[in-house]
Amino acid sequence: MARIGVFTCWCGENIARTVDVDQVSAAIAKLPGVRASVNYKYMCSDPGQALVREKIAAEQLDAVVVASCSPHMHLRTFRKTAEAAGVNAYRVEMANIREQCSWVHHDRAAATAKAVDLVRIAVAKVRWDEALEPIRVPVTRKALVIGGGVAGIQAALDIADAGYQVALVEREPSIGGKMAGLSETFPTLDCSQCILTPRMVDVGQHPRIRLHSYSEVESVSGFVGNFTVTIRQKARYVDTAKCTGCGECWNSCPIKKIPSEFDYRLGFRPAIYIPFPQAVPARPVIDKENCTRLKKGKGCGFCEKKCQAGAIRFDDQDKLVTEEVGAIVVATGFKLYSIGKQQENESRSGYGEYGYGEYKDVIDGLQFERLVSASGPTGGRIARPSDGREPKNVVFISCVGSRDNAKGVPYCSKICCMYTAKHAMLYKHKVHDGQAHVFYMDVRAGGKNYEEFVRRAIEQDGARYYRGRVSRIYEENGKLIVRGADTLAGEPVTIEADLVVLAAAITPAAGVRDLARKLNVGYDEYGFLLESHPKLRPVETASAGVFICGACQGPKDIPESVAQASAAASKALIMLSRDEMTREPEVARIDEKNCAACFACVRTCPYHAIERGEVLTPRGVFVKHTARVNPGLCMGCGTCVSICPSKSADLAGFSEQQIYAELEALV
Amino acid sequence: MSEAFEPKIVAYVCNWCTYLGADLAGTNRLEYPPNVRVLRLPCTGRIDFNLIVKAFEAGADAVLVSGCHPADCHYTSGNYHARRRWIVFRRLLETLGFEMERIHFTWISAAEGKKWQQVVTEITEKTRRLGPYTAYRDLCEAHQ
Amino acid sequence: MITRLRETCRRLLDQNKVQVVIGYGQRRPGAAAHPVFITRPEDVGQLTWGGNCFANLTVYLKRKEVKALGKAALVVKGCDERALVVLEKEAQVERGDLYVIGMACDGVHAPKCSACVVRTPRFADELIGEAGSAPGAASPAAPDLLDVLMAKPAAERWAFWKSEFSRCVKCYACRQVCPLCYCERCIVDKNRPVTIDTSASLKGNFAWHITRAFHLAARCVGCGECTRACPAGIPVGLLNRSLADTAKGNFGYAAGMDPAAEPVFGAWSSSDKEDFIR
Repeated sequence: MARIGVFTCWCGENIARTVDVDQVSAAIAKLPGVRASVNYKYMCSDPGQALVREKIAAEQLDAVVVASCSPHMHLRTFRKTAEAAGVNAYRVEMANIREQCSWVHHDRAAATAKAVDLVRIAVAKVRWDEALEPIRVPVTRKALVIGGGVAGIQAALDIADAGYQVALVEREPSIGGKMAGLSETFPTLDCSQCILTPRMVDVGQHPRIRLHSYSEVESVSGFVGNFTVTIRQKARYVDTAKCTGCGECWNSCPIKKIPSEFDYRLGFRPAIYIPFPQAVPARPVIDKENCTRLKKGKGCGFCEKKCQAGAIRFDDQDKLVTEEVGAIVVATGFKLYSIGKQQENESRSGYGEYGYGEYKDVIDGLQFERLVSASGPTGGRIARPSDGREPKNVVFISCVGSRDNAKGVPYCSKICCMYTAKHAMLYKHKVHDGQAHVFYMDVRAGGKNYEEFVRRAIEQDGARYYRGRVSRIYEENGKLIVRGADTLAGEPVTIEADLVVLAAAITPAAGVRDLARKLNVGYDEYGFLLESHPKLRPVETASAGVFICGACQGPKDIPESVAQASAAASKALIMLSRDEMTREPEVARIDEKNCAACFACVRTCPYHAIERGEVLTPRGVFVKHTARVNPGLCMGCGTCVSICPSKSADLAGFSEQQIYAELEALV
Repeated sequence: MSEAFEPKIVAYVCNWCTYLGADLAGTNRLEYPPNVRVLRLPCTGRIDFNLIVKAFEAGADAVLVSGCHPADCHYTSGNYHARRRWIVFRRLLETLGFEMERIHFTWISAAEGKKWQQVVTEITEKTRRLGPYTAYRDLCEAHQ
Repeated sequence: MITRLRETCRRLLDQNKVQVVIGYGQRRPGAAAHPVFITRPEDVGQLTWGGNCFANLTVYLKRKEVKALGKAALVVKGCDERALVVLEKEAQVERGDLYVIGMACDGVHAPKCSACVVRTPRFADELIGEAGSAPGAASPAAPDLLDVLMAKPAAERWAFWKSEFSRCVKCYACRQVCPLCYCERCIVDKNRPVTIDTSASLKGNFAWHITRAFHLAARCVGCGECTRACPAGIPVGLLNRSLADTAKGNFGYAAGMDPAAEPVFGAWSSSDKEDFIR
């Protein structure tokens, strides 16, 4: 007969306020096999865990049930506690009487009755738990980082500096991400490129970082510690080994007026180009959509003629390369919400009323950054895109898209209040007789020195702040008429602006959902990647061995992105620090004596973890065919169990026996 | 004294999506009726449809099966296999004359605490109106 | 056809190409043909063929006693042959280990014959006879019981099956006669834990028939032997047919027709319908 201990937690008031924990303990104490049934204020605390160990010893328990919060919170905690006291870690179950009981039901009698049922189910289940030992798996001590913005760069450097090989994949021709295009950063007004480019160079020169630029992840297979990643290196049409980055090619290219992606279409670039002068790698790519030779198959070729290194390769092809890695860090960053009326995403709608895309002088925040940047299309001179004149009245509008349920983007994009204040300051520093007008709903300046920064914009640089939204922008006599509200003054405001800058919402980068599926990582309705737990595990995901950091997890600024990147790197390093890691042993197993060898399970397994095998006598004589699970690959989903007609397949921790016992406990 | 009928609802949920969605409903303190008993499984792929029958045998008045949305399964394709089986199993139960309004399938993600609350509330109310599953109870008592 | 069949089998046994012929025999005139297992060439006179050859002989391929006899030659009708296709796909027979003698069939006076599209076996090693132009005389057109059932309200269907299953005595003849029920340890015989109540109670009978039908979903080839074998006269094959219709309607799949077709379970498609999923 089992010797089960049941520990019911008050969770302070969280459970005890609604569930009568004494009644639960008393009811459960009567079940056969329950040798100890107690309750305590905080089971997960030190004294709580000590109580568990004490009862294990006193009653010689061989199984433990903790009735408290969700197993996603503390199952691991209590498994360790039990193991330390001599109970196998896998003979531990939890009953969720908090998230799924006391927090959602307010009738004390009903909640208590439900709690008793839930504990009865857990007791029935634990009776059939087998004592299991963790499975040992070798680890490839190398990491993959996807995304070469500031977060990806930080993560790659941390892992490489710790002594491990890193493959860094970046889909643009150069690393640097959005930060490379910024002018100055808040709250210090550091020049963005000045602080970023040394890091970029470190990555480019690091002996342990292999940079796959202009590349994308094609496919991922394997599992934690043993991933095989196929990377598509897109054709640059330039041999990067021969190229010296001298610039003769892009200077001689006759196709000069292609809207530049780096300048967000405010400036131009040639068909063979380097995105910005400090690019890493400092090697150009040819844009095959616009290059005469690549489009027509003949003609032009000026770059080839001018290249003294013979590095132009019009016959270049995409290449597929493979990396074997143990851990993956995702840092794919963000893009701005596309403001105009037409939206590709059906769940969103745009702002026809702001004239973005219609009026040249209505631009977004990233475009303004390029205007202000010394390396930008205007050399840092603030000029209207329409006629190049210096604007004397600039209107900045906050929350374009963000915090607007009607537009399908209900969340706050976090960084816009700060960069709007920054834009107002940078504008004033360059146009001394100019006036910045900011329309805002709230000002969110929660970081270190952030509030002081915003005050400077208002008090020292004279930015005018109107608390209200803008209903419409239209053009009249070469000016943009901005009609908004000043709710603190209680009156409408009309401003004749020369330039309007819209603080557009932050959304995840394009293609992130496809990547997430390849990695088996979840994402929310906006496409932000899902962390394991929003408070306690912000950089881990439900997919073991895959970590996330930076804006791909949610809107955040540079200091937070860098911090999260180091956090993700440290989680990856925990895995890479050993040759072997242990896997959870709750995997499937096939009873080979009864297996009918129909191999339905082999076809079904999502991880190809089941093989066709043979049963042999000890002397090697063939007895029968059978299916066989590879415990190193099995992820424990149990799909094989449900398809098996003879029920020869079963899943440890969620066995047939256990589920039936749980159901019977409900009768 | 007659007691109002309180339906017993068994929910087979997947550990990674629906179970976390139900936890989220708890974190957000979204209230719902206390009639559901959740049986946590790793994946909807684990659910042999025999379990639906077993739940009725154990006295359930309604059964809910819930997992990750298509393309979002934590184990990549467990829910696809489950979905395909459901299409066929439903037909079997229809052919036999089961009360199909007592069997519910949903996709509820880890971010959909509100949906869990809505689904459980609606199923509870619907089952309350349908009454106990006497047809099945009679079947099970017949051999006693 | 019978002469040619007997000569073929005599030759195969004489030359030791096969060690046993599984075919139809007829001891009592007028009765249904019964299976015979001929191991000696001189016994081929026991073989017969005709409109009373109902049995699906592929069912014997799973039996240890038959496997022990050696390489087999098997007499099949087109409908039986479909089971062979499924068995091969499920790694239960090695096609090369079998000599298939296909008999062109004019029907065995069963309801399934009027809609038959496989009167000529398609994958036989040796084909005997030619199918006639008219289908076998089928019983006068009766309303299809499955259609009638599905048109009734659910409660009436429930009452129908309760009434039918109340006569089930759990003899498992339906399982024994089905070529696709080949698990040596059937799920109903598993008792740790008990999945299906083995008693002949309504609860146990429903559980058994649900499981049997579901395990055969998109595998049953519609040979009808289960219904013919049931001593209580329960139309068990109706459940199988309902699911076969579903497999056809939803996935375009008919078991045993196309050896290259992907089985329904174990595969999935992003376009599988989910209008019933919230």
